[in-house]
Amino acid sequence: MYINLTNQRSKRAISLLSLLLLAFILLPNALHAAKGGKNSEDIKRGKRFFMGLLPKELNHESCVSCHALTPIDTLSWNPSALEIAKVVDAKTFDEFKSSLMAPVGKKMTEVHKNFEIEEADLKRIRLYLKDLNKNGLPPAKKTYYNLILFLFLGVIITLGLVDLIFTRKIKYPFVTLLVIGLALAYQLKMVSEEAIALGRSEGYAPDQPIKFSHKIHAGENNIDCKYCHNTVEQSKSAGIPSVNLCLNCHSLVREGANSGQFEINKIHTAVMNKESVEWIRIHKLPDHVFFSHAQHVGVAGLDCNKCHGDVENMHVLKQQEDLSMGWCVNCHRETNVNMEDNEYYESFKKQHDLIKQGKQKAFTADQLGSNDCMKCHY
Amino acid sequence: MKKYWRSIEELTDSTKVKKEELSYERANKKAMITGKSLDQFASTRRDFLKVFGYSIAGAAVVASCKKPVEKAIPYLVRPEEVTPGKASYYASTYFEENEYCSVLVKVRDGRPIKIEGNELSSITRQGTSARVQASVLSLYDTSRYKTPLFNGKATTWEKVDKVVPEKLDAVKASGGELALLTPTIISPTTRSVIDQFLAKYSNIKWIQYDAVSASGMLDANEANFGKRALPAYHLDKAKVIVSVEADFLGTWLNPTAFTKQYSSRRDPDLKDGMSRHYQIESMMTLTGSNADERFVIRPSEKGVVLLNLYNAIAKVHNAPTFQVTKSSFSVQNIANDLLANQGKSLVMCGSNDPADQVIVNAINFLLGNYGHTVDMNQTMNTKQGSDQEVAKLVAEINAQKIAGIIAVDVNPVYDFPEGDKLKKAISKLDLSIALAQAKNETAAVCELVLPLPHYLEDWNDSEPITGQFSLAQPAINSLFEGRSLGVCLNNWQGVKESYRDVVKKYWEKNIFPLQNKQKKFESFWIESLRNGVFDLESKSPKQPTFNIDSINQYARSIKKAKTEKFEVVLYEMTGKGNGASANNPWIMEMPDPVSKVSWDNFAAVSPKLAVQLGVKNEDLIDVNGMKLPVFIQPGQQENTISVALGFGRNYSGKVANGAGKNCYQLIQNKDGHRIYNLTANVKKVDGTYPLAMTQTHHNMEGREIVREAVLEEYKKKADAGNEAHAKHESHHVTLYDKPDFPAHHWAMAIDLNKCTGCGNCTIACQSENNVAVIGKEQVRNRRIMHWLRIDRYYSENPENPKTYHQPVMCQHCDNAPCENVCPVSATVHSNEGINQMAYNRCVGTRYCVNNCPYKVRRFNWFKYANNDKFDFNMNNDLGKMVLNPDVTIRSRGVVEKCSFCVQRIQEKKLDAKLDNRKVKDGEIQTACMQSCPADAIVFGDLNDKNSKISKLFEHPRNYHLLEELHTLPSVGYLTKIRNSKKA
Repeated sequence: MYINLTNQRSKRAISLLSLLLLAFILLPNALHAAKGGKNSEDIKRGKRFFMGLLPKELNHESCVSCHALTPIDTLSWNPSALEIAKVVDAKTFDEFKSSLMAPVGKKMTEVHKNFEIEEADLKRIRLYLKDLNKNGLPPAKKTYYNLILFLFLGVIITLGLVDLIFTRKIKYPFVTLLVIGLALAYQLKMVSEEAIALGRSEGYAPDQPIKFSHKIHAGENNIDCKYCHNTVEQSKSAGIPSVNLCLNCHSLVREGANSGQFEINKIHTAVMNKESVEWIRIHKLPDHVFFSHAQHVGVAGLDCNKCHGDVENMHVLKQQEDLSMGWCVNCHRETNVNMEDNEYYESFKKQHDLIKQGKQKAFTADQLGSNDCMKCHY
Repeated sequence: MKKYWRSIEELTDSTKVKKEELSYERANKKAMITGKSLDQFASTRRDFLKVFGYSIAGAAVVASCKKPVEKAIPYLVRPEEVTPGKASYYASTYFEENEYCSVLVKVRDGRPIKIEGNELSSITRQGTSARVQASVLSLYDTSRYKTPLFNGKATTWEKVDKVVPEKLDAVKASGGELALLTPTIISPTTRSVIDQFLAKYSNIKWIQYDAVSASGMLDANEANFGKRALPAYHLDKAKVIVSVEADFLGTWLNPTAFTKQYSSRRDPDLKDGMSRHYQIESMMTLTGSNADERFVIRPSEKGVVLLNLYNAIAKVHNAPTFQVTKSSFSVQNIANDLLANQGKSLVMCGSNDPADQVIVNAINFLLGNYGHTVDMNQTMNTKQGSDQEVAKLVAEINAQKIAGIIAVDVNPVYDFPEGDKLKKAISKLDLSIALAQAKNETAAVCELVLPLPHYLEDWNDSEPITGQFSLAQPAINSLFEGRSLGVCLNNWQGVKESYRDVVKKYWEKNIFPLQNKQKKFESFWIESLRNGVFDLESKSPKQPTFNIDSINQYARSIKKAKTEKFEVVLYEMTGKGNGASANNPWIMEMPDPVSKVSWDNFAAVSPKLAVQLGVKNEDLIDVNGMKLPVFIQPGQQENTISVALGFGRNYSGKVANGAGKNCYQLIQNKDGHRIYNLTANVKKVDGTYPLAMTQTHHNMEGREIVREAVLEEYKKKADAGNEAHAKHESHHVTLYDKPDFPAHHWAMAIDLNKCTGCGNCTIACQSENNVAVIGKEQVRNRRIMHWLRIDRYYSENPENPKTYHQPVMCQHCDNAPCENVCPVSATVHSNEGINQMAYNRCVGTRYCVNNCPYKVRRFNWFKYANNDKFDFNMNNDLGKMVLNPDVTIRSRGVVEKCSFCVQRIQEKKLDAKLDNRKVKDGEIQTACMQSCPADAIVFGDLNDKNSKISKLFEHPRNYHLLEELHTLPSVGYLTKIRNSKKA
């Protein structure tokens, strides 16, 4: 619209196009709304209220500006629209109204301070949220950039080959060859990079069902990792804390500084419904790898940060290392084993004697055989 | 050198066997599951282009694929005793038919995955059998009944609890009679519940039914001692053991306990002498294959042999003797040996004829064995069924004289002679209720089918030997709606109590007062539950009174042996039992310890008879109207054909259905006793039937594999039979550096003298290491996956050979031929002496398989997991629950083999590190060793000079397989020492 349109014809064409475009955008929504039956009009209006399009004069933030239309809003502390919709579904209108207009929690009271919404609109918003809970978010479009690029390079290679063999439009064959070569090289680079990354997920930081922040718990509040992950010294698995462990603190701590009551309530809901929290697993080794936390933390006394990174500063937990075999093996080569404080290592008689005699300072894990295949693969 | 051979064909024409073997290697069809030839699968140029095109598309997909999202779901409230990733062990009890076993159940994250022996049990003393090992897989059997069924339609327990008492009351009101048919029940609590139930319903009679019965023995003991019970045996106190047709190491009464006792006396270094074992039998049993002296008789001759033996002993004791024909061999030597060891000897007989058993009782009495090796005070309760009662009941059912039947965990339609007649009769009854764990033929004809729980899902107790109790506790929540007999009967009387409380109350009332160590019941209960067992202090047994003259009528009834041309013996196959657990793929694929045939039963004939009939292996013969494939069995009596029971199920699960033939139908009744040997009509018929024989697989080319000596030689010279060891040791010179094992050098020793070849280790290993079941066709293709096989060799006369059992697994050579040839270094040595196998490195060249002289490496020809072509337990979610999460599932195209249970080594090493101590000797127990009922396997660290294994490796009996090849194996074998007179 900011383009200066001089030509009448092109103006018309563009308005036609924009109409079509509008139809494309609105049609799915219209269809979506049509499914709702007689309430569809209310739902539609409810959605506009939620989006801040209605009423025309809004003296506070729109709903959507805090409650994003994503499954889980990892970028902010606020619950997403969908999460709210889940909670709203179980509430009567009066409950909904009071929780929205006169909330109990400190944080929510602060944010919902100046709300003036008419009762009819509140009903519509509620209907919209109920509909959202029922039908879910419109499906996110998948992106195929890598695939498109890969196929595009394939087309270039094919065209290049056709030209080279049959048409010969380009005079200098080395140009064609160069193009083919570069395209092929880039394709190979893509495949090899993806293949290496296959099954590895360095930097993986998925949305979790509860916005649990390690930064708040382990960083600001200084809770020891082993308080929650308490099987780390005895078992191969460090253990994801069971819900009752959360309650040790959260039976008293009912409201968080950042997320208010919403996230913490999820724990209590889980306990009430007797349904455990389904976390998304981040650190995962393939099935043919045996890794024991007990060996590394319980025996070797490694710091959790060594493998899991700076967890104390992560609001959203992510996988720090690539957890590849090369990474494991390297660490074994570099890390010395504390042989003196554990009687087990007296089994290594020769090595033990050398240390005692002062002939060698220490032995790395690798030198004691930790890089043998069947220490991890069986 | 003495010749050792594994099959008759190998003995008579070894070149032909070799050729056959090669033809197997070459056969194209081997590569395919369906047996189609390779031509049908040949790929064309078009196929190549297709594959080429797809792989480019595949690469494109690779360039944009995402890792699947996986969830991590913690407990809501973590149980105190559960640590995720660590196993818990619960003591429990297995009992089925001829197998009582106190066990530990290994539970990982809520799933039972392995059965281990319970070392605290005074009966089975940490031993198990193959069937006990496999029982954990039956828990995850897809053919189990999931809900109560009424006329084949699912119903609820509430309805059942309403309908059944109404029906029972109606029958009672109308004056009708009902029968409660159960197997032998050794649970004191369940017995008390049944008694209460019977008190309420006086019109119900309770009959115990053993598919393979010991009724003859019970009758004999009732006649002699006034006590209808089986004696408890103490083979560990017997210096001379004489067994007449009793396969006590394989299938008779309680083989696991017997093996434990027996093997404790099979040590030639024992101060008061190794035992001598005489076996007199008509077919080659597992027990016979371990005997010091074995005599072959016709099955009908056992009475004559026993009476001859009795006469020889009675003469010395001035007891009455009886007229009898001479036995086919002289029993005088045996009698002399027995007489020289009075009170330290034992005579046993597997006959179901009371006359035979009375003679055995008389012999043991004269020898003064009662109170020493045989105990009639503390009796064995594992078989209590009376043949007469069962026969009477069946007649009543057939005549419709009875109103109804409650069949609990029994399957007479399948395992009673004339089952078809019974099937029709049961379906006509007014009331037919079956309580069954999994699909069976009897439940199929009953109106109401109620699911029973698996023993790992339920509370129970048992008293296998009087005064020796054990408990069973659930190791998993009920998978389906199973409910035990006790709970059902209680509910039908209006008592609604959990079975835990019922058992606990019974123990508080009846068992707790029997002891005075624990003052409080709660601590007694917790201790008993944790230990799994509770033994009363045994009183010293006495010789019971026995009127020797009372044997008169029995002795007279013994007639001379049959003169007809053929006799047939019906027996149970070791490990497979009576057919109740036939739907267990581990059991089905386990090769029979003697014949090494899996997946089928067969007619075993002697080599001589095979020549007479003009048959070879897999030819069909007709035995009393039953067409069976021939298997030529060395050591079989010439006129005797033996056929295994427990096969030919037709209404069971996918594994059991159609495997073998049901030969229960051949059993005959004689004076109310089921007789398992009978006259036979045998003729050759046209056709063949393929058998999965593993006996000639994995050939070590007839080298010096088995080493043996007789006891006398061994006493004179400690390395008798093992002279070659020293010679080979002296040749072990090398230019290379000696391998260095800084901390541990794991090794294993196997005592060939103790090993009975029962097959427990094979299944224990399969269970521990997720070894795949591959099915009959693939076993025939010589691809059996067992990491631990038991080789069986014969020597000398094929009509009565000497037999040797030899467990062979990866020998973990310190100079391993497999390691040198791997092009990708997928198999290398660890610094603890383990020959490692990295599956993910393996590219499947199979060079290592070819270069392994012990033939212990297994190749995954197919993907055995998640493949419906291998429809056993690894293609469904239920069956996969049994898998050990600590061991990788191998994929297609890689080689696998014994790892010395490296997961267990790592676990115990870690425990030691966490406890800040060294690994204790004997702490690490491999799966095969842990539950070996014969204590034949020892595992340990050679670097520890005081360890048991180090001492055994220094033992003069120790040798290594093919040690002349300088492979330096970490597995040692102790020579076989037979306590026989002739060399």
